[in-house]
Amino acid sequence: MPSELPLAPSRAFRGLGAFLWTELLVQAHEWLAMATSMVVQGVLLVFVWILDPSLLPVSFLGAILFSMFTMGQRVLNEAAYLRIDHKANDLYLASPITPEGYFLGMALGILTVYVGPVLAIGLLSLWVVPYTPAIGALLVVLALSVWLFSASTGYIFSTFFRDNRAIWAYSSLFFNLFGVLFPVFYPLSLFPADLRPIALVLPPSAAAALLQSSIGAISLSEGQIALAAGALAVEVTLILFAAVLWARRTSREA
Amino acid sequence: MTGEALWSDQLRKVYESRGAPPVEALRGVSLEVHRGERVALLGRNGAGKTTFLKIASTLLRPSSGRIEIFGEDVDLRPDRVRPYIAVVPQEGKPFFHLTPREQVYTYLRARGLARETARARTESAIEQMGLESVADRLAITLSGGQRQRTMVATVIATEAPLLFLDEPSIGMDPFARRDVWDSLRELTRKGSTLLLTTHYLDEAEVLSDRLYIVEGGRVLVHGTAEELKRSVGGTLKVTLQGPGLVVEEFQGFGHCVSDGSALTVIVDPQRLAELLQIAVRRQLTAGVGPVTLEEAFLRVVGRSINAE
Repeated sequence: MPSELPLAPSRAFRGLGAFLWTELLVQAHEWLAMATSMVVQGVLLVFVWILDPSLLPVSFLGAILFSMFTMGQRVLNEAAYLRIDHKANDLYLASPITPEGYFLGMALGILTVYVGPVLAIGLLSLWVVPYTPAIGALLVVLALSVWLFSASTGYIFSTFFRDNRAIWAYSSLFFNLFGVLFPVFYPLSLFPADLRPIALVLPPSAAAALLQSSIGAISLSEGQIALAAGALAVEVTLILFAAVLWARRTSREA
Repeated sequence: MTGEALWSDQLRKVYESRGAPPVEALRGVSLEVHRGERVALLGRNGAGKTTFLKIASTLLRPSSGRIEIFGEDVDLRPDRVRPYIAVVPQEGKPFFHLTPREQVYTYLRARGLARETARARTESAIEQMGLESVADRLAITLSGGQRQRTMVATVIATEAPLLFLDEPSIGMDPFARRDVWDSLRELTRKGSTLLLTTHYLDEAEVLSDRLYIVEGGRVLVHGTAEELKRSVGGTLKVTLQGPGLVVEEFQGFGHCVSDGSALTVIVDPQRLAELLQIAVRRQLTAGVGPVTLEEAFLRVVGRSINAE
């Protein structure tokens, strides 16, 4: 041991790649969870197909966004589970691995594993959604935005729980409220007019509204587009920033 | 700048929670761990060992006092301390859906070790912990002891300059515990420093160069195991039992502890014969053995280490 150690702080995001790989290996064993991750979306698509097939383009786009949202919510469960049950925070955070590397590595690992079924929905949607390169690019950007928002909020919320069982209820609340009740699977035009501004500022339904507008399923004013896009951009940026700061802060208990 | 691996001065920790009175877990703990040493914090459950370790390993903020690792203030610059520490957390578990080999390797990679180094250290740690036969089985299928060995393997493979081990051999069988002890000794030979908490007296005695006995958030005494045992006042313990037992007759021989049915007397070898003559006269059964750390702990703390 040298008498003077070359002490140097960790680089920002250190450990992200390796923890992503770790999480990927872990999640890859959860093949049943992967397979069942599309059940809700699949059932809702069947309902729409039976009730009004003309809404399928909107619902397929909604299913992709909903999947990205629930994938982010898996971060809530995983982060809390690893912290509470495995004490993984103690092992990984009292090390050169940065808290933000741990959080984003976990989130990206989950994304990498669960993106497969989403791509399958995306492929199926080719039959009904009138994609253009611009719409495809918009879908990718909006889906990733929804995922980032959801993963970031998931990580932040995960730090408040001391018992895994309490999380299930909240997790279910989040994705049912923001992903099912609000107009993600169905057009914004069917949502009560007075409540539409709320839908336009909530990330999943804002992203859905922008996509619905892009394929001509609904008509949005310039102001509504600006509101939805602006809110989404600001919220995603802020919550991601907050999650990184929160991860650093909560790497140490007060 | 201190050259100590770890140094703390008057470290305090008070846990505040709504609707409950504050709990003072540490009440001014001052200690030092020299580079290359193996030091144990020995204490009962709730003594404050884990709280100290969590503060030292940057996971918990102290209420007051100072703590430094390799001269860096742990509270002010945890980011500068973290590259040089590794922790086996209490009740930590490996990822259930990783094999021990994957667990160790991915952890080393996440810490920034090169592939080849990580691979070599993984194999070495797996071997040291006797995990070869289960190295490619998912952790979910392993026994509690094997999981704990996987956790220890994960951390010793880092060869970090300062290792914290919170009850490292809990749940292990005696053979596995010895493997862990051997590996930890080997690590300090390579230059690492070790701070472990334990409530196993044999572990503290066999493994540590020095130990601190902690009770109620305070360090009551510290020294080598031999020094602590000598402080008891004798080198032999005699346990006496029988209906004719009169405690007062033995109090002049040395420190006495009575648990109702039996009396333990700490005695110098020179007075052993005299004591045994009384025991024979009273028709008592007597067991004679060397003083252990258990007597030292009992003497210092006033209660057995297993007492709740």
